[in-house]
Amino acid sequence: MRDFLELSISAAASGCVYGLVALAYLLMIRPTGIINFAVGEWAMVAAFGGYLLLSKLEWPYPLGMAAVLGFMFLVGWATERIAVRPLVERGAPLLAPILALLGMLVVFREIVSVSFPPDPHPVPYPFGLGRLELGPVGGSYQSFFIIAVTLVVFLAVWLFFERTVAGKSFEAVAIHRRAAALMGINLSRVTALSFAGGAGAAGLAGLLVSPNISAHYLMGVPLAIQGFTALVIGGVGRVEGALLGGLLLAFAEQMTTRYAPIPSGYAQGVPLLLLMIFLLLRPTGLLRSRVAKA
Amino acid sequence: MSALRWLAAFAVLAALPFFLGSYYNDVYRKLLLWITLALGYNFLFGICGQIAFSHFAFYGVGAYSIVIFLFQLELPFPLAILLGVALCALVALAVAIPSTRLEGFYLALATLALAQLFIVVLNEGGAVTGGTGGLANYRLPEVFGVRIAGPWYTVVIVTLLLGTLAVLLRLDRSWFGRACRAVRDNPQAAAAMGVDVARTKVVAFTLTSALAGIAGMVYAFVDNTVNPPIFGLDNAFLILFMVIVGGAGRHAGAVVGAILLFLLPFFLSPLIGHHHVLVFGLLVVAAMLVQPRGLIGIYDALRRRLA
Repeated sequence: MRDFLELSISAAASGCVYGLVALAYLLMIRPTGIINFAVGEWAMVAAFGGYLLLSKLEWPYPLGMAAVLGFMFLVGWATERIAVRPLVERGAPLLAPILALLGMLVVFREIVSVSFPPDPHPVPYPFGLGRLELGPVGGSYQSFFIIAVTLVVFLAVWLFFERTVAGKSFEAVAIHRRAAALMGINLSRVTALSFAGGAGAAGLAGLLVSPNISAHYLMGVPLAIQGFTALVIGGVGRVEGALLGGLLLAFAEQMTTRYAPIPSGYAQGVPLLLLMIFLLLRPTGLLRSRVAKA
Repeated sequence: MSALRWLAAFAVLAALPFFLGSYYNDVYRKLLLWITLALGYNFLFGICGQIAFSHFAFYGVGAYSIVIFLFQLELPFPLAILLGVALCALVALAVAIPSTRLEGFYLALATLALAQLFIVVLNEGGAVTGGTGGLANYRLPEVFGVRIAGPWYTVVIVTLLLGTLAVLLRLDRSWFGRACRAVRDNPQAAAAMGVDVARTKVVAFTLTSALAGIAGMVYAFVDNTVNPPIFGLDNAFLILFMVIVGGAGRHAGAVVGAILLFLLPFFLSPLIGHHHVLVFGLLVVAAMLVQPRGLIGIYDALRRRLA
């Protein structure tokens, strides 16, 4: 039982990371329909930002974190300006920006691999390596930090979409682009913001997970796969779905590694298996979107 | 006339290796294999409009399966080939059928996960796959009492390339090829015209994956070794980039793209070391922004202006 609770905390922490990556996908898919495969590389870029500012220059954690996130917003905005907007304005098919973003994925990864030596780069923990015990539940400081930050982010995003006019305008664009434009919603601003937000969420995931796994230029692709699996499990329609999907995936992964009698490397097959099962049985994900019901 | 053309192409391509040294023969063989892969991928991506990252993984499934079937299970040669193709088709079906249930690019993500998992299976496979070191020290068995080696094996690869091209051209000009283009350009309209969109996608994916598997079987006896790093995701991206830079949807585009991106590193490496992938990424972004039809599109535009 102790073992199970211990595992639950670390699973919840990695589930939160997957949830953030899923949120990054969702923020961009909802208003634009564009699947951006580069979210994993964005997480990687933020992890290297963390290494640079927090390990090398030894900035205080909150300042470094804010700087990295600010930089990620900029990266997302710039990516949209360079690789998405020209194509959307030209009326190119949806495939075109997706492919351009694939090219950007390689560009991001290669820029990092050119700039840093290929070995893993350590990123510090914000609260050191200690453990926190709450009754029978215990886990590392980092696990609790990840869970807390993720909950705050999801609450903020949820409030933004449900309670603010700006959030409603995102929703309107997701439901019907043209009608939203006719209602006076600035489409290109919504798209730019969704990419900035997506890069922010992905970057936060990369920064939070980097103390555990170290920054490495190949860390992006696994995160991109896990995040997308989480999105498929939870459903594209609702923000909460991303978090739910991430948690479910992480629990399935960690329980398989711990209790199933298979080599631990095969646990990497869990996302693919879950992805297939959900696409077959419940292609819309666990949570239906509100629009579909109405 | 057409048959004569094919014969001439075969004669030129097959004669070339007999004038090349062993190093250039090796480069030539790899170039032919890349063109074969790019042609197959172009059918899936350029003509049917599906992104998949598993093309290179299926190349690996083919290569590994023929080696395992022939030398670990000691099956007869024709049976090993048949089983290898069947394996590729089965895996492809298992991935494609769930992925096409939703509109959008779900196949891309499912195949990304599949390609990643394939490398894990290879590394963890123990004695069957040889783990991280892969399998080596095997030789192409005698086929009907003939031992094929040196330039003659290059002739086998030329046959593979032209065979693949013939199959794809035939498909492209058939009802199925037109259905694929319709699915790419407008799935709703295609469905309204009576095309089964999901089935067309699944068949195109399975078929091109099986073609990649066959190419992989031929590759297994080029280096006489198969190991995990060869079949990684980097090459899966490279093949997509070849098709985009050359010109998606055109067979000539796939050929041009494959030749260019295969040869580019030979010229770039004295200048920028092994960072040529960065150049590939920039090329793709530039292609999408400036000329989405790739080099073939530029060629077409030039010809139209001159005419």
